Amino acid sequence: MNKAAKKIGRRHFLKLLAGAYAYATLGSPGLAGAQITRYGKLADTTRCIGCKRCMSACKRWNKLEVERNELVSDRETDLSAQNWVVVNLRADAKNLTQRIYEHWACQHCIEPACAGVCPVKAITKLPMGNVVINEKKCIGCRYCYQACPYKVPRFDFEKRVTRKCHLCYDRIPLLNYMKPACVEACPVEALSFGYKHEMILEAKKRVYKTKNARYILGLKEAGGTDMLTILPTKPEDLGLIVAPKKVVNHNIDKLRVTGAGFMGASALAGFMYTYATLTRGKEKKNRDNSD
Amino acid sequence: MERSPAFYTWVSILVVVIGLALYAILMSLIYSLEVFEFSIHVIWVTMVSNYVFLVVSSTGLCIVTSLGHVFGMQRYELIGRRGVFLAFITIIFGMISIGAHLGHPERAMIFNLLTPNFYSAMWWMGTLYTFYIVFIAIEYWLLARPELIERSDQAQGPLEIIYSHMAFRQLDHSRLGAVLKNHKLLQFVSAAALIAGLSAHNTLGALFGHVEARPLWHGSYYPVYFLLSASFCGYSWLLAVSIATYKIKKENIPEDYQSLIFEMAQVLALLLSIGLLFTAYKMGFGLFTPEKVKPIMLFLKGPFSQAFWLFEIAIGTVLPIPILMWAAKQKNIMGVLIASVMVLVGVYVMRYDFVVAAQVYPVIKNSLPSYLPTFMEVLFIGGVLGALFLTYVLGEKFLPLKEERHH
Ligand code: SF4
Ligand code: SF4
Repeated sequence: MNKAAKKIGRRHFLKLLAGAYAYATLGSPGLAGAQITRYGKLADTTRCIGCKRCMSACKRWNKLEVERNELVSDRETDLSAQNWVVVNLRADAKNLTQRIYEHWACQHCIEPACAGVCPVKAITKLPMGNVVINEKKCIGCRYCYQACPYKVPRFDFEKRVTRKCHLCYDRIPLLNYMKPACVEACPVEALSFGYKHEMILEAKKRVYKTKNARYILGLKEAGGTDMLTILPTKPEDLGLIVAPKKVVNHNIDKLRVTGAGFMGASALAGFMYTYATLTRGKEKKNRDNSD
Repeated sequence: MERSPAFYTWVSILVVVIGLALYAILMSLIYSLEVFEFSIHVIWVTMVSNYVFLVVSSTGLCIVTSLGHVFGMQRYELIGRRGVFLAFITIIFGMISIGAHLGHPERAMIFNLLTPNFYSAMWWMGTLYTFYIVFIAIEYWLLARPELIERSDQAQGPLEIIYSHMAFRQLDHSRLGAVLKNHKLLQFVSAAALIAGLSAHNTLGALFGHVEARPLWHGSYYPVYFLLSASFCGYSWLLAVSIATYKIKKENIPEDYQSLIFEMAQVLALLLSIGLLFTAYKMGFGLFTPEKVKPIMLFLKGPFSQAFWLFEIAIGTVLPIPILMWAAKQKNIMGVLIASVMVLVGVYVMRYDFVVAAQVYPVIKNSLPSYLPTFMEVLFIGGVLGALFLTYVLGEKFLPLKEERHH
């Protein structure tokens, strides 16, 4: 009895320790990639049947408008302020018989470029992984759209703010950890949601086991994203936007660009000074003449 | 032309244009912002390019006038008041233009203060330009104050009261009043305005330069080039506006002013040729950078080639250089006027291209996105520019803008 109690006590202690560790890592964005409490979404294009149920589930949960015929299978849809996820038919440019349905949404980058450029910090990367726009704070400048490597945040002309998928941040912590609406709606388990490290393992397993699955989008793209997509071939062959395999808009790069500008400004001031000194003689002559 | 029918016709045309712009803003408030920039793929368009044009001009004007007030070149003080006043109104109308572009300009002011993002060039730009506006306004006031005092001495009745309030004559006998008369204060404020202006301008270039996802903008080229183009914009504005003002008023340009104009024309020609080198570098270098090739080709051969070759290169840079050189040699004022207006037109088109063309890549769908401004957009831009000119005309009539002279 005593022993069991002790055991529990130790377990409790370990839990606390883990909690403290998680707390410490959450605080430091540099270690964000290493968190074990982060979630990820996995989309498997080799399983998707293009039923677009994820789209309609997203619209229902987030109260977005539905356009006529939009949810018909095979109709090309684009991300917009009312379409936070889209499903489109894509063909492999190198093998036209290879066709897949691609489930596309915000990739929830680990170091999001969109959040880095937002002037008023309206975009946050939550510790659980979601990149969320605070629509009450957004000033509608659309800089995030320009900076996003995938061109995800779309401007809502009526609400005058930018909107995008938030990975159902308002569902995850609720009711026994509900999954995002799209994941819950998928009838063929093409979408899964869980701890990020588990999702990575699962994706690798499927690529290893399934004949068609060859590429995992999101492991390296944009410095790694919390949404992973299993593709039958490289993203460029499918006509997707190719993001660089590094953090986009890194702060060091920003510093470099700004620094160059300041050097230019100093040079300009130098030229102005030189111009003033070189022509000082002329000034004197003019003044003497007018005196 | 004051009080002549032509003057009133011009003012009423400008007022109508401004009224149409107000109508466009009203529509955007009643319906949706879609009446302006409707595309969700090319989302920064006319308002942004107009903003960039105006604020770049403002910085340029500040640079040119600082030659006189900060660097002590007395001949440049001749254009001081007009230049600083123009710098002030161009930045104000630039801000109005970007205000209509933003979804929620009111929030911008609040959250810029409450939750600043120091990693965002846009935050820096907004903040630094606010400082710049304050400094440039004070600078103009300091420049205008002596003449305002003079005018209040000469005027009678309500005009006297208005002028003496504008000059804060209450301060005359206080210690602050003495400080205000000190030339050092003006130099200090002008230096502050120049530093704020250059920094703000630099962050404007960086705002574009930071965006790695837009290959055309990305890199340290634009922050540097913007400074150069600001300088030649500033020169062209001053030349065009001051010559036009004298011509329209049918007044003779004073001797020293004329020689300054021809000197400025030569400097402008020099700056334009440096600008040409920069453009050649951008195009040449871009062709050897894989991710920049496609956007660069849009200019060289693609849909933007006309705007690029005809406006940016021919009208905006190459043709004005010989015209300016010739005019400076022949002492031909009209030549300078024409060349500087050409530069301004070229720069305006260049800004539009620079903003729009960059947003073509990366392509989201299969076809290239393209953009033509909506009718409402055109009305709005016309209104902003009209209001700018009207403000200048009114300023010219009621405020001291003429050259200052040290006696
Ligand atoms: S995909 Fe774009 S919108 Fe989504 S987190 Fe990354 S940068 Fe932001
Ligand atoms: S549009 Fe909104 S969310 Fe995007 S950068 Fe601007 S303020 Fe931030």
